[in-house]
Amino acid sequence: MFGRFAVMVALLLLGDGAMTSTPQPPAREAAASPQAAAPRSPRNASYAITARLDPGSRTITGDEILTWRNTSNAATSTLRFHLYFNAWRNSESTWLRERRLSGRLSEEPRISDWGWIDVTTIRVIGTDSAAGDLTKRMRFVARDDGNTADRTVMEVPLDRAVAPGETINVQIAWSSRVPRPFARTGVIGNYYFLGQWFPKIGVLENDGWNCHQFHATTEFFADFGVYDVRLTVPRGWIVGATGSERDRRDEADGTTTHHYYEEDVHDFAWTTSPDFVERRATFEHSTLPPVQLRLLLQKEHTRQADRHFEAARAALKYYGEWFGAYPYGHLTIVDPVWQSNTDGMEYPTLITAGTSWLMPDRAEDPEDVTVHEAGHQFWYGIVATNEFEDAWMDEGINTFATARVMQEQFAPIYMVRWYFGGFLPWVFRDFPRSREVEGDRLTTYRLGAKGDTPSTPSWRYWPGTAGSITYDKTALWMHTLERMLGWETVRRILSTYFTRFAFKHPKPQDFFDIANEVSGQDLTWFFDQVYRSSNVFDYGVDSLQSVSESFEGFGDKPSSGGTPRVELRQVSYHTRVVVRRYGEGIFPVDVRVVFEDKEEARWHWDGKDRWTMFQVDKPVRAAYAEVDPDHVLLLDVRQTNNSTTLAPQADRAARKWSLAWLIWLQDQLLTFGFFV
Amino acid sequence: MSVTAAFREGLRRVNGAPALLAGTFALTLMVSLPLAYALHGMIAEHLGASLAADAAASGTNPAWWREFLAQATGLGTTFIPSIVGFGAVLNNLSDFMDRTRPAATIIGVTAAWLVVWSFLTGGIIDRLARARRTRSQGFFSACGLHFWRLLRLGIIALIAYGILFTYLHAWIFDDVYGALTRNVTVERTAFGIRLAGYAIFGALLCLCNIIFDYARIRLIVEDRRSAIGALLAGGRFVLRHAMQVLGLYALNALAFLVLVTLYALVVPGAPRSGFAMGAVLALGELYILGRHYLKLLFYASQTVFFQGALAHAAYTAAPVPVWPDSPAAEMIANADPTGEL
Repeated sequence: MFGRFAVMVALLLLGDGAMTSTPQPPAREAAASPQAAAPRSPRNASYAITARLDPGSRTITGDEILTWRNTSNAATSTLRFHLYFNAWRNSESTWLRERRLSGRLSEEPRISDWGWIDVTTIRVIGTDSAAGDLTKRMRFVARDDGNTADRTVMEVPLDRAVAPGETINVQIAWSSRVPRPFARTGVIGNYYFLGQWFPKIGVLENDGWNCHQFHATTEFFADFGVYDVRLTVPRGWIVGATGSERDRRDEADGTTTHHYYEEDVHDFAWTTSPDFVERRATFEHSTLPPVQLRLLLQKEHTRQADRHFEAARAALKYYGEWFGAYPYGHLTIVDPVWQSNTDGMEYPTLITAGTSWLMPDRAEDPEDVTVHEAGHQFWYGIVATNEFEDAWMDEGINTFATARVMQEQFAPIYMVRWYFGGFLPWVFRDFPRSREVEGDRLTTYRLGAKGDTPSTPSWRYWPGTAGSITYDKTALWMHTLERMLGWETVRRILSTYFTRFAFKHPKPQDFFDIANEVSGQDLTWFFDQVYRSSNVFDYGVDSLQSVSESFEGFGDKPSSGGTPRVELRQVSYHTRVVVRRYGEGIFPVDVRVVFEDKEEARWHWDGKDRWTMFQVDKPVRAAYAEVDPDHVLLLDVRQTNNSTTLAPQADRAARKWSLAWLIWLQDQLLTFGFFV
Repeated sequence: MSVTAAFREGLRRVNGAPALLAGTFALTLMVSLPLAYALHGMIAEHLGASLAADAAASGTNPAWWREFLAQATGLGTTFIPSIVGFGAVLNNLSDFMDRTRPAATIIGVTAAWLVVWSFLTGGIIDRLARARRTRSQGFFSACGLHFWRLLRLGIIALIAYGILFTYLHAWIFDDVYGALTRNVTVERTAFGIRLAGYAIFGALLCLCNIIFDYARIRLIVEDRRSAIGALLAGGRFVLRHAMQVLGLYALNALAFLVLVTLYALVVPGAPRSGFAMGAVLALGELYILGRHYLKLLFYASQTVFFQGALAHAAYTAAPVPVWPDSPAAEMIANADPTGEL
């Protein structure tokens, strides 16, 4: 509680009135920080938090002083806060309802699993206590779905509206019970991972509060600020958190208070456990700033420490070179415990990876998940898009970039299957992971391709296929864009977007505008297809014919004089290819016919009609025809029909694979032969 | 008779019955081929005249494979990458121990195979017990003679295994394992618990299997008509010779592990094309042949052990065998008067 008192005294000494138009950092360190003079972000939602974890009761008691500035162009007479832990307060929360719909709720929560957060007091600092105390005015709102059982958004009416540009300081005390980790946050055993754990103000936009309920398939959105956080945990427990540790103090009651601080971030997460193994490394680069890497690892994964560091370095290197530098100077990687449901998550300067005890070399993880989450520092952390509404802008773009890094740095990677309860891996070296199919996730996109239109607010996506649209479709159309425009152009689009919208909240149109500007093309048609519709692409070769048309007889001798006629024998092949658009999606494609002499004929088709035909006469027979021969359109859900050959090998392939399958079946029968 | 002697004699008897090996191998192949042919049609139809077939024919084409699976139904859904190389073995053993339900078509063909195999079991054990040629007439006479008895025993076995797989498996791996690992945060610990579960379940499964093995042997060798009587007799035999019976079972299980390990070491993965493809497929069939051999070895060595342990084998007066008399009668007739059998 000393920390809380100190923060309040500091604020009062600084003459921080209840309503002031001067932005005010929340803590002493902020004023002393050299970086405070040049904030990267608007810093309009800063927090000074003190929190105490009691593992015995699985509770956190905390309080915070929020310094919030109204950056919208309208006054507001209410404040709205996210109380994310209440997603696991009861069985009818919106999160749990949606989770059930998605089919991903493996079992109903048990009584010991529930978690919640209760705000005990909320008051505006600087007014007299009676007027400033807003505790009794708290109410829960559910603007997304009207679910009265959902308590993940709290609204508090103010005495007086906060004008544009005006700053308010609000003190909030709360207590919470940490849930079993349903997703991203919670406790299991001695492992605590705490994200979305404190009362957090929504984002006030010009048209009102953007403060969605907690949904099962989407993540978060918040304003930037300075976080000055003191965390009290049992002595000896290791803590990892957003930012860097400023100091540490042992308390008389056998606890230790860890003081973390970070500027220009929009969230704060932390973890603690007595069982972490700590490793450190550094990322160094000739043109990028160094980054101190801290890895909090499980004992059973210690041999994989270097794999985590190498992946984090790869993300910082490639994202840094391609898009822009990582500015924070430190990154904490948390290797979560088994079955914690907290793997693969991103928070500012803190990520969770995820691996298995027997994870083989050349498997996808932990490299892929580490690159992806480290990559979120750029697409989410720095370019802070609204994950409730436009989840594709961080998840999709980041999936695209992750796949690219994985190909650059870690290929070849092979398919791994897990047996005997999911514990024993087997590497299938005949199945290398491809950037397009596994990296951009064509396989899962194919299954949910029509699930939703990406321009629909993400939280309204059908829970069962939200991931396909958010991650997979975006990665595929970004990669398609790369093949249309070239990597250098797409890289410049992304780096321009990164530079312009670092520490801001861009909207989809901002990205589209930059894509048009940098490419020098109007790509509206493309975004109409991939973003504003749920159309599925499927082009195919319907038929290929190459028929000989011999010409025999006598013709005039070309040279003058002599015999007037000469015997002719010409054979030419009339080749005709019919290509069709089976899907609703429209995309211009090339059509190619390759002849037996390796010569080729190529046509460009705008792809609008349902079918078209191309014909050519050549002295040699066609060998095969392809639509989209350069595989530009990666969203094509059926690529097997993209080609037709006049020397089909299907029977040979089918014979081989059915015989291979036969061995599996025979082995299966003999396994069941155990019974007789 | 010692366990190793029974095992060695079992080897000798299986080696002396190549027709049995060829016949059982042919049976499994014949039951499997129609489904493989059906799958061939599905694959060929999906590939059509596509260039994707070229890559699939000369190596693997993972992109096409995933597209195939996305549209596959029924039998096609079993054509998963896990069928490649040693993955096939792991996949089947893992599915067996984890009680993963196979596709409906596979269940159907497996059931048919089990029934046909049960029919043949009478002839197989009879042949192995006599340790001499019985010719096809004798073989199939024994098959017919014992089939309904074996079927009755099979129904009892089905109930017993059904209880094990339905209730015991669920109890061990859902209830107990779930409860023990719910708050476990160390994967190694959870794996250890799962291994313990496999050990307990596997032990009970094997015990059940051993009793039914000897029930089957007594049913055939002693020409018993009652399946229940044979089961009780089998149980008594196992109880009285527990250590040897378990030892022999372990020796056979070890032989299976050796075969599986060898296959894991030599199988190169997916078939390519040409000679390499043929070699991989031949290696796979060789492994399947090996599994049949070991299956017969199980029967043979257990039969030999049972015959060797017959209390009355050496000193009962030999009756005149009237063929087809029971193998036990024949054995008694041929018994070594010194009693050293």
